[in-house]
Formats: sequence, C-alpha cells, structure tokens
Amino acid sequence: MNKYKKISLDGLIYQNPTFMLVLGTCPTLGLISSAFSSMGMGLTVLVVLTLSNMIISALRKVIPNAVRIPCYIVIIATLVTFARMFLEKFVPDLYDSLGGFLALIVVNCIILGRAEAFANKHNVVESAVDGIANGLGFTVALTLMGIICEFLGKGALFGLQIMDFKIGMLAKPAGAFLVYGICIAVFVYVIDGFERWRRVKANKLARENMLSAKEAA
Amino acid sequence: MATFIAIILSAVLTNNFITAKTYGVCPFLGVSKKTSSAAGMGIAVTLVMVLATLVTYPIYTYVMVPLKIEFLEIIFFIFIIASLVQMLEKIIQKLSPTLYGAMGIYLPLITTNCAVLGVTELLIGDMSAILGEASMNIGWAALYALGAGLGFTIVMIIMSGMRERLNCYKTPKALAGFPIAMVTACFICMAFYVFSLISL
Amino acid sequence: MTAKQFFKGEAFKCLIALLCVLLVSGVFLTIMNSLLAVTEQERFERAINKIYGKNVKTEAVAVENYNDSATIDEAYKVKDDGNYLIKATGKGGFDNGTVTCWVVVNVSGGTVKGIDKVVIDSNKGQSYIGYINDKFLSGFSEYKGEYFNPNEGFIKTGATRSATAICNAVNASIDFVNAKFGNVAVDIYENFDLTEYINTKQTSHEITDGNVVYHIKTKGHTMPSEFTIDVTVNSAGAITDYNIVVNGSTSQSYTDKMLAGILDKTLFIGKDFAGIQAILNEGITYPGDGKDTLISTGATQSNYLCVYAAAFATKNYDKCLNAADDGDENTEGGQENE
Repeated sequence: MNKYKKISLDGLIYQNPTFMLVLGTCPTLGLISSAFSSMGMGLTVLVVLTLSNMIISALRKVIPNAVRIPCYIVIIATLVTFARMFLEKFVPDLYDSLGGFLALIVVNCIILGRAEAFANKHNVVESAVDGIANGLGFTVALTLMGIICEFLGKGALFGLQIMDFKIGMLAKPAGAFLVYGICIAVFVYVIDGFERWRRVKANKLARENMLSAKEAA
Repeated sequence: MATFIAIILSAVLTNNFITAKTYGVCPFLGVSKKTSSAAGMGIAVTLVMVLATLVTYPIYTYVMVPLKIEFLEIIFFIFIIASLVQMLEKIIQKLSPTLYGAMGIYLPLITTNCAVLGVTELLIGDMSAILGEASMNIGWAALYALGAGLGFTIVMIIMSGMRERLNCYKTPKALAGFPIAMVTACFICMAFYVFSLISL
Repeated sequence: MTAKQFFKGEAFKCLIALLCVLLVSGVFLTIMNSLLAVTEQERFERAINKIYGKNVKTEAVAVENYNDSATIDEAYKVKDDGNYLIKATGKGGFDNGTVTCWVVVNVSGGTVKGIDKVVIDSNKGQSYIGYINDKFLSGFSEYKGEYFNPNEGFIKTGATRSATAICNAVNASIDFVNAKFGNVAVDIYENFDLTEYINTKQTSHEITDGNVVYHIKTKGHTMPSEFTIDVTVNSAGAITDYNIVVNGSTSQSYTDKMLAGILDKTLFIGKDFAGIQAILNEGITYPGDGKDTLISTGATQSNYLCVYAAAFATKNYDKCLNAADDGDENTEGGQENE
C-alpha cells in the first residue's frame, strides 16, 4: 500500500508535472485564462494519460525496444483522437473552448514522459495509479491557476461574472506566464519550507532519542 | 505582394506562436539559456515546420479529404513529423557534419514540439483566417510556416539574451530557474501584445 | 542477408509490432469515427438548442445577400414563434478574420422588431473573441430600427474588431429579413377595409382559440401620433379585450381628456362593427372638431384613432379567420412566405 501512496504523492506533489517538472506548458499557458477550459483540459489529459499508461504498461513486453517511441506516439495519438471525437459528440462546449490544444495533447510531454519514465517499467495497476496521480496533479494545478487568472483577468469564476474589476492583461498569454511563474515559485517555496520543517523535526526527534538513550545508560 | 507581407507579418508578429498562441513553450523555456542554442533550436524548428507543412498539406488535401479519413489527421501528422525529423537528422549528418554538430542535438527534441504539430493543424483548421481573403495553396501554407518559425526564432533569441543577462544577478531561491524565466517571458509577451493591435 | 534471416531478425519483429499497433489504432478509430461522427444535422440542432434552449421546428429559407459587410450563410424560419434564425458571417474582424453568428431576428407585422439573441457560432482568427461576453451580446436586444454600430451604445469589450464583425453580421441579418420578408406585410392587409388610419406594415394579428388578437399600430392624426393597441375579437365579431399599449396623445393633459370609456375599454367590450359604428354617429369618418359627438371630449382625435382601430378590428375579423382557414395556420403579418 505504501508503494501506491508514494506513487500518488509523487504525482500530486513532489513530482507534480506542472509545478515541479514544468511539463505540458503549452496547454497550461494557453488555457488558464478560463477556469472551465483549463479544468476540462486537465481532466482530458487525466483520462488520456491513465489510459495510455495502462495500455503501454500492458504492452511493454510485446513492443520491441527499438520502435517503442513510435508505438507510444501512435497509441497516444489514437487516444487523443478518440478523446477529440468523444468531446465533440458529448461535450461540444468544452470541445470548442479547448480548440487547437486538444490535438496538441499528443505532444504533451507529460504523457510521453510518463510512458517512458514509468509505464514501460511497471505493471498495469501501478501505471494506472501513476497516471491518475499525475493527471490529478496536472488538473488541480491548471484549475487553480485558471481560477486565479479568470478571477483577476475577467472578474469571473467558471464563466460567471462576479465583479467588474479586472486586469485584462492577466487573461492574455502575458498574464498566463506571470501567474504560472509566480505559482511555481510559491509552490516550490511552500514545499521547500515543509521539507525543511520535517527535517528539523526529525533531527530534533533523533537528538532527543539519543539524549534519552544516553540518560538511560 | 500584399498577401505576402500580410502573411509574414501576421505569422511573425501579430500571431506569434509563443507570445500570442503559446505554442512551443517547452523548448522556449528549456533551450533558451544560451543565445547560440536558442538560435540553433529556432532554425531547426523553422526548417522542420516548413518541411512538415510541405508534406502534410498536400497529403491532407489530396489524400485524406478524398478518402474521408480526416479524423486520422493527428496520427498521420505526428508520424510524418517524426519520420521527417529522423530523415533530416541522417541527411544533415551525412552532408554536413559541422551543421549537424550545431543543430543535430535539437532535432530529436522537435518531434514533441507543439509548435510543429500546431502549425500543421492550424493550417488545416482555419486557413482562411490566417490568410484573410487569399485563397489557400501550398505556397502560402509554406510561407506561413516559415513566418511562424521565424517568429519563434526571434522570440527565442530575445528570451535567451534576457536570460543571459539575468544570470548576472542573484534571484531568490524559489524564483530561480523556470519561475523567473516565465516572468521574463511575461514581459516579452506584453511587448509583443502591441503587435496584435496592428490590423493588416 | 537472406530473406529467411530477415524474417527472423529483430528488424522484422519491430516492423510487425509497429504495423500491428498502427492497424489496431486505425481500425479502432474508424469504428469510433462511424459511431461518434457528428453529423451536420446534429451540429445544426446543437446550434438551435443553444439559442432556444429547446428544440424547435425550422424551415430552411433561400439565402440571398443584401449587404457587403457580411454574408448570410443560412436562414431558417422558426415555425413555433415566427422568428427568423439567420446564420451570418460578419467581415471586418480582427486580423481580417470573420465571426459567424446565429442571429434570432424577431419579426412581427412584417418588420424587424428586434434581435432576440445573438450567439457566436465560430470565428476565424479572432484571438480576443473571449472578450465578447454576454453583456455585449445582449446589447443587441435594444433595436431602435437602425444599424448597430459597435462604437455606440455598446459596452466596451477588449475585442473591438471582433465586435465590428458581429455587428456586421447582425446588420446583414436585419437587411436580409427586411428585404426578403419585410414587404410581404403590405399584401396581408391590402384587401382589408378601413386601413386609412392603420399602419399596416407594423400591424399584425394572430389567431388563438378562434379569437383574432390584433396588435394594431395606427397612423398619427393631425395632432396625436401613433397609438399601439391590442384588440381581441371573438369569432362572433365582438370585441372581448381592448388595451392601449402606447398612447399617442400629444401630452398627458390630452390623455386625461380622453373618453373614460376608451381608456378603461368599457366602451368597446362586447361590441361588434355595428356597435362601433354607432359610437360615431355618421359612419366611420372623422366627425370634425367641435362637433357634439360622444368622442368630442377635447381629445377628439385621440379618441377617434382608438375607435377607428376598434372598427378596423371588428370589420376585418372574418378576413383574418378566412385567411387562417386557407391552410397555413400561421397568418401573422408578414410571415407568409411559401
């Protein structure tokens, strides 16, 4: 169980694809001007990533090493095409708002990256957990930044106009870069602080244990 | 001639791939630490963009549309781009080892560059929007791809110059690396935003 | 290398694996494509759903262009409420692009009464189309009979050029509806009696449960301007309801001087044409100022227009009912377009 916890925490926080690894930046920057489309993009990537991880992991013994990258790309492209058809049929609103970035999921480094780094070395269940964790990490990060950008840039939340004050720049690519950069910095700062705090606590505990052991002796 | 200028200006400045569309940001952030590598990457991307367009556009128009297999475009395009990059790498290696030394290392990275797939998809998707009233043909398509690549290269070079300067200063630990690069990119975007106000 | 070696070698295995993956993907996608393909019909119904929030029956109308700044792509008559649904592509957008929108043109009595809704369908190259919000689009509901100008009367968006293209599309839709269906209205009331003081182009009627409900717009008289009056006439030719929607009297003091029976509709309720005629002693002509008739209250002309509208309604109710019986249920003014 501990194994799955580690995979999940890695995907969500310590190896978060958006904030820690800075992967899949194009759709992130292109779509965070709207919380709805960024969340939709996150969930689409979540599904595609989980499925591709599972398929690639299942086929990892069948596919020869020399042609693995082309095979992965074909599998991912198939899933993306399928996702595109599915969204166009059942969620046309989202399909419209994602625009060209939907096709570009194929070249999203997160998906090929997880396939290379994780799925071709682990079994199907682990790969699925990894896909969900990374996808969730991506989705949460995108939605968070989407809310910030939309709230400040358009005065709206998920398309609902709530205030008249807005900084138009933040709803444009320039603002997306700024918000993304600042979010990474804050995230890294918080994680660093947390790690340091945990280390200090562990050191203190160790020292106390040592002292008490000495006293006992 | 008017169309020629309009396409070039639109592709390089007003619809710049990085600052207006945010396509191809991964290499923009990853390979822009030094001006020489930024220029190499930019030229390699431009080359692949033009070649990919020259191949995908006729295939889409004359093969996929008549056969009604447009839905396979993503697979086709990504495959064409991947094989093109492989071939290009081998050819450059054979013909000019010096050139290969300069930009060979960037070529494999291009397969998963959204800008290249982006330009091929975009040219198919809304061609008339890019070209206004001009009728679309392979020449204009290639020209647009060239413009997009040039725009990409220009922004890459500007970015790398700024990052080289930035290296001289001390940044807070949390901001070092990607965050400060993105804040820098934010300013480039703001500057390029002015171009989007030009109406052609 | 012999053929046998090749078939046993690693390269062959790679090739087979790659081909298999490609084949499976291709077959899977082809099946999915046939299952999930979005047909044109579905696309259209989606657009309608978006605009109306429900499915309505429509009928395609031949398309013509009357305006250079936009092209009319498709036009539909909505059978349920008599409006027109126009798909128009406005030119002059950002970066020489276009915006295609669906425009619901509210038509009543042969003229465009307003724009009920504008929904953006697609755009070409409008990077800032996101700035066009619902507030902007709802600005089209205030139609005053003029072209829309994106620089006037609209809230500012961040996408002036896109807004221009949208305005062009809406203006072209109005032009189209006016040019194509606007003039038909005259014909509808052409053979009707007592149309001297009735603005037939802006008058309409509909038939509900055998009653004729008029939305009459009168012409002005010497002093008062147009009245807008809703009159309901039952199948026996008697007035069952009478409401002055817009009072055209010169000023409030004249409105006050009008006959009380007209303002509270008691004068008309239950009366047929003969009854209305009896109000004005000598037929349906204007009695002239200063004469001693029932309507000579100091606002004679206003009173006269009101009575005239009632006379028009009662005199012609059978024509409306007959026209309805001719087959087309929808006899609303200006809507006849077969």
